[in-house]
Formats: sequence, C-alpha cells, structure tokens
Amino acid sequence: MRISGTGRRALNRRLTMAAALFTAASIALVGCSSASDGGGEGATGAEGEVQLVEGVRSLSNSYHANWVAGGELFGESIGEEVIVLSDEADSQKQLSQIKALAGSGQIYALNVDPNTSADTEAIVRAVTDAGGYVVTQWNKPDDLNPWDIGDHWVAHISFDGRVSGEEVSNALFEAMGGEGGIIAIQGILDNVSSKQRYEGLTNALAGASGIELLDTQTANWSRSEALTVTQTLLAKHGSAIKGIWAANDEMALGAIEALKAAGLDGTIPIVGFDAVPQALDEIKGGKSGYIASVSSDAFWQGGAGLSLAYQAATGQIDVGELSNEERAFYGTQILVTSDNVGDFIEAPSLDALQADFDDPWARSEGGIN
Amino acid sequence: MTSSAPTLGESVSIDRGTRIRKFLVGAGPLIALVVLAVFFAIASPTFSTPGNISILLTQLSILMVIGLGLTFVILLGSIDLSVEGVMASSSLVFVLFATNDRNDFQFGLLAVLAGILTGSLFGLINGVLHVKLGIPSFMVTLGMGAVGIGVATVLFGGRAPRLLDEGLRVWGVGSTAGISNLVFIAAAVLAIGFVIQRFTRVGRYGYVIGGDEPIAKLSGINIGKYKILSFVVSGTAAGIAGVMAATQLGVGDSTIGSGLLFTAITAVVLGGTLLVGGRGGVIQTLIGVGIITVLANGLILIGVDPYIQQAVQGVVIVVAVIASGWSLRRRVRVIK
Repeated sequence: MRISGTGRRALNRRLTMAAALFTAASIALVGCSSASDGGGEGATGAEGEVQLVEGVRSLSNSYHANWVAGGELFGESIGEEVIVLSDEADSQKQLSQIKALAGSGQIYALNVDPNTSADTEAIVRAVTDAGGYVVTQWNKPDDLNPWDIGDHWVAHISFDGRVSGEEVSNALFEAMGGEGGIIAIQGILDNVSSKQRYEGLTNALAGASGIELLDTQTANWSRSEALTVTQTLLAKHGSAIKGIWAANDEMALGAIEALKAAGLDGTIPIVGFDAVPQALDEIKGGKSGYIASVSSDAFWQGGAGLSLAYQAATGQIDVGELSNEERAFYGTQILVTSDNVGDFIEAPSLDALQADFDDPWARSEGGIN
Repeated sequence: MTSSAPTLGESVSIDRGTRIRKFLVGAGPLIALVVLAVFFAIASPTFSTPGNISILLTQLSILMVIGLGLTFVILLGSIDLSVEGVMASSSLVFVLFATNDRNDFQFGLLAVLAGILTGSLFGLINGVLHVKLGIPSFMVTLGMGAVGIGVATVLFGGRAPRLLDEGLRVWGVGSTAGISNLVFIAAAVLAIGFVIQRFTRVGRYGYVIGGDEPIAKLSGINIGKYKILSFVVSGTAAGIAGVMAATQLGVGDSTIGSGLLFTAITAVVLGGTLLVGGRGGVIQTLIGVGIITVLANGLILIGVDPYIQQAVQGVVIVVAVIASGWSLRRRVRVIK
C-alpha cells in the first residue's frame, strides 16, 4: 500500500486521536467503576455478589489446569461461576487482565499465581485500588508482606522446599535400604526452590549415616542437560551410584533416559519434585525406578486459596484480625509414591476438599517469616 | 581477508612454506582440543576409559549436527538464531506422527521425514525472507525461532507427547558395538555435510559469497539462490537434531533445544569458522564441538565445583580462541 506524505500524516493524526480517545475512555471507565464500589478499606460484598476469579499462567499445562479445576470445585460448593484469567506467562497481560476486573464494578475474590516476584506488588496494589480481595501464591518479594499493603491482600501462600526436600530424600534413602552412594542434580543454582530443596537433601543426609553424596551438579532444570550430566556421572562413579536425586521432575526424567541408554533403568531409584504428569505415570508404572515426587496439590491451591479470598470478600473473616502467620504461610506438600499416585492424576471429589474450603489454613505448615 | 582465504582451491598452487604455515594456522583449534584432552586424561582416571569416550561421542552428536548446519550459514557471514525453535517444532512434529501417547498415528520412518522436513521448511522461510525481502538474517531467524517455539507450544498442549515407537527409540538410546546409534547418525550427517561443502555449488559458492559478496555477484553467481539453499541446509540440520533429541529423550518438547543455540555458535567459531564468513568449514566445526564437549565432560570428571564450572568453561574458551588466533592477530582483518 502506498500512502502519500500528507495522507500518511493525516492517517497518523487520526490514529493518534483514536488512541487518545480510547485511553481517555478506559481511564474514565476504570475511574467510575472503582468509585462506584465504595472503594473504602474493608468494604465487603454480600454472598452471591462476589465474583470468583482464578489467575493462572496457562490452561495448557496440567498444573494450572488442575489449579482451575480445584477453583471450580469451590465455585460449585457455593453455587457460583469462576472466571479464569490466563496470561500465557505475560506479566503485562496478567496485570491488565486484573485491572480490567474492576470494570464490572462488582467486588471480586482473586486467587492468583503471579508470574514473577516482581509482579506481585503491582497486582496487589491494583486489587486494593479496585476494592477486590486477593490471595497470592508462590511468588512475592521476601521483604513485602500482605500486612504492609492492607486488608485487600488477604494472604500469601508458598511452599517450603526444605521440608519436601527432606521428605523425598528420606524416601530415596529408604528405597536404597539406607546404604550406598547418590548423585544430586540441582536446578539453576541461585534459584530459591533449588536451594531450599537441596538444603532439605543436606538435612536428610545428616541423619543418614549409610548414604554418601558422591557428586552434585547442576542441569539448570533441563531434561536434556540432566541426561548429559547423568551420563558423565555414570562414567565417573559407575556402580557406586545407588540412587539419583533431582531438584525437579524434568531433570529426573532426563536422568532416567541416561539410565535407559546405559541399560540400567529400573535398577537405580530416582526422585524428583513437582509431580508433573509424566513423572506420575512413571511412578504409577513402577518399572523405571522412579519412586517418588512431591506435589503442592494444585487442586488444593486453586480451591482453598480462592475460598480464603472469598471469605475475606464476604466479610466471613476479618482480615485485620488475622495474625501474620495466617497471612503469609507455607502450605503442605505431599510426597507422591506408588501408594497415593492416583490422587494426583484424577481430580478429587468436592467432599474430599470441603474441609479445606471451610478452613483454608487446615494445611498450613506455619508462617513464612 | 579474501586474499588469505584460498580454502577453495586445490587448483591453486601453493609453495611448501605457505602450506606449512597455513596448516599451523588452521591447526590452532585442533591443538587446543588435544591439549585439553591430554590434560583431562592425566587429571582424571575416568576420562580416557572406553566407557567415557563412548559417552563423549554421544554427547558430541547432536551438537555436531546443529553446528554443521550453522557452519553453512555462518560461512556466508549470516547467522541462524532459529535453531532452538526449529528443534522444538521438528521434535514435536516427529513424535506426533510416530507412535505416541497422544494420537493414533504411527507413520514410522515417514514421521522422521516429517520432522526433518519441518526443519527444512523453516530454513527455506528463513532464507526467502532474508534474501527476497532483504531483512538481516539476525532478525529473520530470531523471529522464525520464536515462531518455532510458538508452533511447538501449541503442539505440546501442556504435556510432552511420548515417543512409543521402540524401533525409533533405539536410534536414541540403543548402541552398536558399544557406541551409541546417535554417533553413527551424526557421522553420516557429517559425511553428507562434508560432501555438500566440498563438492557442490552450495558449499563452494558459500565461501565465495562469504568472502566477498559484491565480487561474487559481479562474477555472475546467483547469490540469492545459494544463500537460500544454505539456510535450508541449516534448517534441515536443526530438524535432524530435533528428531535425534526426541529419540534420545523419548518425548517431543518445546524446550528440547534450549541452551544449544549459543553452544553451537560457540563451537562453530571455536573451530575456526569466521563470523564474518568466507573461512572455515564443517570439519573445523567438528573440532570446535569436540572442545566444548570435552570441556563440559572433563570439568565434571575432575570435580570442579558446579558454582564455578561455567566461569571456568568461559575462561578456557576465551583462552582457546586467543591461542588459536594468535598467529593471525596482526593480519589486517575486519573484526566485527
């Protein structure tokens, strides 16, 4: 398309005008809606008038799909629909979706997995400005807490890798009969989860005199890097390796392929974290040596987190009276072995989760700080 | 620089002194590789065992195939940054057409072909956009790499589809006479790459175009055609690498090539192929890939702390580049 000089200038001007009008209109809309819902500290909605919202990364990964399924179970328990925001790992998109929630003028309860720690503050401030109530999970800056912002940031839930790290390590040692050498494959070395999980392993090793840590390497959370590293470590330590510890399931699955290529699959027990679907399959199948993983139970995260935000939004709990341990807490992680693997493949029934909806702190392992 | 690049010609007659000097210049990377290997063999009792050598060859295979493709493009003075995206797409296309746990397809060898051709198609698009629309290869391939990851994410659908065709799995996890089948595949690809580079117009004009494009143009070479074909070679190689990685890991995955792009570019440059084009080749790349593989393997074997491993790797690579380029340092060259 060819546009003459003057034509292009006119077109540009028109585009600029349109953009300006659009922006002004959006600002006006957002302004009206936040004014109309009262906006004041502690304004709550009646039951049935609170919108339920889940904010997740993507529905195409099973973890967040399960998260949403848990949220829908909660919605079912109170007879409400759940709105799902999926940001496809785009922090800007996540924030603008949350800001757009204010448009309806209704009070909302949001249960969100912020993309990164850096996004959390903007999200909770946007929710506070709109008079909604939010529960965040996994990511927040260490020095920022819900009570610093106010009552609209109800709580933050995370998971302590040190506890699960120790549990899964003990499961590995048990499968080895309490004796022999292991190799450890860590994630990105300066990552908090990787560090906490490895600390859990170190703590477990302190209590297991028969187990020797032969080598520790990083594979940067990657399946193919873990395969390469495991190959090299197999050459280095050979039959001294009686167990493999990996800081996530992806790397454990890579290690399994290295064992397969060396004809050793099924002879060496392996553990990982995160309970990804393929790891669950391997644990269920029971042939590859994959004996355990750890799950934060996405169904619970989606359901109980939303319940907590909802109870604050309807005034059933008074956020101002909650202790710091209730507003920033570690949830329980569950060791997944062949005994209970079925619970993580299929969604639980509403009955099974009802108690956790009634008391969102039932699985609290204590305050984060 | 063009004047110092008679890599093309056996027909060019060179006197003995020049020949020896040229050998020494070209042998820098090879010497670096030998020095590293000897060092690790002395420092670690495991390094030179047959078991570890077989592992080294396996670890070298996929990187070799990617590096081979990249060599063709880098020789032109261009770059292909789409490798990781292409590998992601081709691994998923391959697995989804072979026997898998997602759908009922079981096309066997045709699935392999589909995976590889996915790579060729990406290469073709890269080449056409670069040549016909005059967009720098850096931008085109960066964009197409993102497209590749995007396509892979859609096909991925939240969980990695598993390759259930045992006949194809054997390519990645099986071995023949104690050597992984992947090594044989990589060797075959290297042989084909060598023949293309030495004996076809795509390969030989690549040197001319990379050496001095305006002169190549003036001498009537259809530059566009040979550039596009070079990108097709690179894409095809990345496609093959994607299929190889999928048979090794047993899944098609959108992150299957992650981290391999810059490792491969490093390998190509370490081997002695110039980023500005015109000099280098696939055998040089084999040496570069060898250096990187030996280094990663050796540092683990001698027990270097993982916290400083990456830094040590970086230092060794920089030193290797300085050492192998030492004799050229005063030569008037365009360094960009």
